[in-house]
Amino acid sequence: MTPIGRIFHSLGIFILKRKVGQQLALFFRTIASLFASNHNFRNDSRNIILQTFFTGIEIFPPLFVVATLFGTVTIIEVISLTGKMGMSDFVGNLMVVLLIREMGPILTAFLIAGRTGSSLTTYIGGMVINSEVDALATMGINPIRYLVMPSVIGGTIATIIMNIIFSASAVGAGFLVTKGIIFITGNAPNVQITWGYLSAEILKALTLPDFVFAIVKPLVFGIIITINACYQALNIQRDIRQVPKATSRSVVTSFLFIVLADVVMSLFYFISYMQNLSMMI
Amino acid sequence: MLDEALRLDDVYLSTSELSGTPFSVPRAVNYFENIKASENNEDRLLLAGMNLTLKLGETICIGGPSGKGKSAILRMIAGLARPLKGHIYYFGEYLPVERLTALEVAKRQVGYVLQNAALISNLRVVDNIALPLRYHRVGTEAEIQKKVKMAMDLMRVRNFATMFPHQLSVGMQKRVAIARSWAMDPKLLLMDEPTAGLDNYNRRNLLPLIDNMRTMFKTSIIIVTHDLMIAKELDCNLVFLDDKKLTEPHSFDYWLHSDNEISKDQFRDLQANSMNI
Repeated sequence: MTPIGRIFHSLGIFILKRKVGQQLALFFRTIASLFASNHNFRNDSRNIILQTFFTGIEIFPPLFVVATLFGTVTIIEVISLTGKMGMSDFVGNLMVVLLIREMGPILTAFLIAGRTGSSLTTYIGGMVINSEVDALATMGINPIRYLVMPSVIGGTIATIIMNIIFSASAVGAGFLVTKGIIFITGNAPNVQITWGYLSAEILKALTLPDFVFAIVKPLVFGIIITINACYQALNIQRDIRQVPKATSRSVVTSFLFIVLADVVMSLFYFISYMQNLSMMI
Repeated sequence: MLDEALRLDDVYLSTSELSGTPFSVPRAVNYFENIKASENNEDRLLLAGMNLTLKLGETICIGGPSGKGKSAILRMIAGLARPLKGHIYYFGEYLPVERLTALEVAKRQVGYVLQNAALISNLRVVDNIALPLRYHRVGTEAEIQKKVKMAMDLMRVRNFATMFPHQLSVGMQKRVAIARSWAMDPKLLLMDEPTAGLDNYNRRNLLPLIDNMRTMFKTSIIIVTHDLMIAKELDCNLVFLDDKKLTEPHSFDYWLHSDNEISKDQFRDLQANSMNI
């Protein structure tokens, strides 16, 4: 090896030995397998749609309940707090920041990591233990294309759809439950609220970046969850005790990566705040 | 060399390759790690300086005591384990170790029947057999159906076509696995214990099928087995794994009547029987 070649070799091995590097490599190989020479569009799209439904429909009931109750709590707290502090103009802004911008994508991603990520890890991990993945490879079927690619694309699509449903049900169903609580308890929280007021405030506060990030955030989170789940599963050595370990590792590291990615993406908003501040000054 | 189906030249294999094939890790990483780990460690070698030559259309049986790495040889030929040193030629074509993956080997029409059949557990028997055909788009759907039916008829699993693998017995699963490999028209077929778990009737049905495959389709076959009578019934050569190497191929009768250590170990009962006769 020439000196330059040795530098690149050691750099490559250094990156590929790290878990993050291997997951990145798995992601790129997944994307590359989409364009493999013998692609079969009908089979692939069927697998992807199946995975989307699997991810979406199974997660819908808990997600709907969590979104509704979280929305209720947020609406009551925000309206009563801003009313006390005399900042009623910021109701819409606070709701958008809390529900749509930050907590919506994160809670959706956590639910999907707990439900779909863990089941993906056990599913593929079981196949690894039974050497079904080896059998696939010896039949010339790329395991990354057959197992990982549909899960990643289907899971990501489902995460995006579920994020939109979360935001919608947090505001819509959350408002209805708030009204129910006011009706039952005789307005114990002391909140005056109408649908017209709430929707007008929220629509006023929504900006273009909010819509863009409503797609981009769940996209990134979905890729992180599914790639991480598949990576942990394919990494299992031939030992049945490794499957539950890999499952819990997949969920916990997914949570960690999701929060890290969220902080990185939130830098966009911080930068725009700074620009607003400097413009005001 | 052009009339060779497979040639292994001075191959070394380390035991650390047997812990499964991690498809999540790029293979370059494992490769360099492995070479470093096993450079000066003789104990970790499973095979050392092994040679094997298989002519086109030839059948060979690999025997030997269990736990000495017979299945590892097949895993290595199928590309699931990577040799430390040595050269492997498929149909006269040299595959360097860096490119020796299961997918590359499968492209050269090498079929592999695993020891535990390894059927995909969420697919029915029909779909299991049709899976590789559909993935590689071998002909239209009607042609694939015809081929699958033929494979099921050959292995007599037609009556169980809509069952899931966990509903079948071990022997049945093995027959489905052989049907799945057969449907892909392999030029070199690796079979790991094909007759284990089969009753005498089905074993007798399997052997003519193997015989047909090599005469009609010129398939080269490597069989790893403890059932040494296969070699006699198929009239093929036997090699034994001994001291991390493969012996020279010889016929069943040669081994039966020869006087070396391997024959004494492996043919004791048969030799005693033949004395009585």
